[in-house]
Amino acid sequence: MSKKILVVDDSKTALMMEREILERRTSYQCVTASDGQEAVEKAQQERPDLILMDVVMPRMNGFEACKMMRQQPSTREIPIVLVTTRGEESYMEAGFKSGCNDYITKPVNGAELVALIQGYLGE
Amino acid sequence: MSSEKNNASGAKRSTSDPLNDLRLGAARKRLAESRNEEDAIEGLREIVANLLGCEEIGLFRVDRRTATVQLCWSFGVDLENYDLLQALGNAGLQRVMSGECHIDLPNIDLPSRDRFGATAKAQAFVPIRVANQTIAILAILRLLPQKLAFDRADMELFKLLSDEAAKPLFGPGAHSTTATEGPGMTA
Repeated sequence: MSKKILVVDDSKTALMMEREILERRTSYQCVTASDGQEAVEKAQQERPDLILMDVVMPRMNGFEACKMMRQQPSTREIPIVLVTTRGEESYMEAGFKSGCNDYITKPVNGAELVALIQGYLGE
Repeated sequence: MSSEKNNASGAKRSTSDPLNDLRLGAARKRLAESRNEEDAIEGLREIVANLLGCEEIGLFRVDRRTATVQLCWSFGVDLENYDLLQALGNAGLQRVMSGECHIDLPNIDLPSRDRFGATAKAQAFVPIRVANQTIAILAILRLLPQKLAFDRADMELFKLLSDEAAKPLFGPGAHSTTATEGPGMTA
């Protein structure tokens, strides 16, 4: 069975591009969410193998969603990669404090994204 | 600029890099699926922020009847008093009006890592075209600190925006008001 990635972003463009890259360049299956709250719910329902999540989003941002997932037994161990335009050190620190495993900045390099995820999941 | 051809679904794609094709495809789809002009503006912001790496953007509408260029939307930066003509210069404005992108390259000693530091030099002005006429100018201003400069793939994205953004942004009736090209335009 193919591994599943939950892609979370409030930008339709980012969702489309990340999903296209992952589904066309790997064997992973993608499910999507458009904010942190939906991500927390989808993570519990779908039990993805990895979560790729934006930071700045409405309703619940990526840091809050990451913290919440780390508090729940069903999602505690899922690798979370935060993907954001915010490259400042303070944001990266906040990301790792929230419990993410990796932090990458936009614009996303497709080849690097695939390599990073394969590093967690294998191909 | 790489050559383009149509794939089986009829969508244009470049022949250079499959990952860049996916990036261009996402931009094209986002613009094409815009529900209305407001959603197209949001799509443009998403494309420039997520695919190009810039969160300071302005869109200027060209009014050929009055020979002026006026700000119609901006994001991430106050452009109310921005002088597009001064930023582009007469020659730059003429080039953009004739359909070329105008790109200021960054200084070689960039960048500082300060998001709000005085590092920004790379900027691009992209003509938004209909029927071989520039009806608007997209100003892509200071890049995000992690994005050092524009690359070849970005040029393909500029071309796509130039060719395909007008209809979603300004509606199916988007067109220029006269046939004059460039000279005498003021910002």
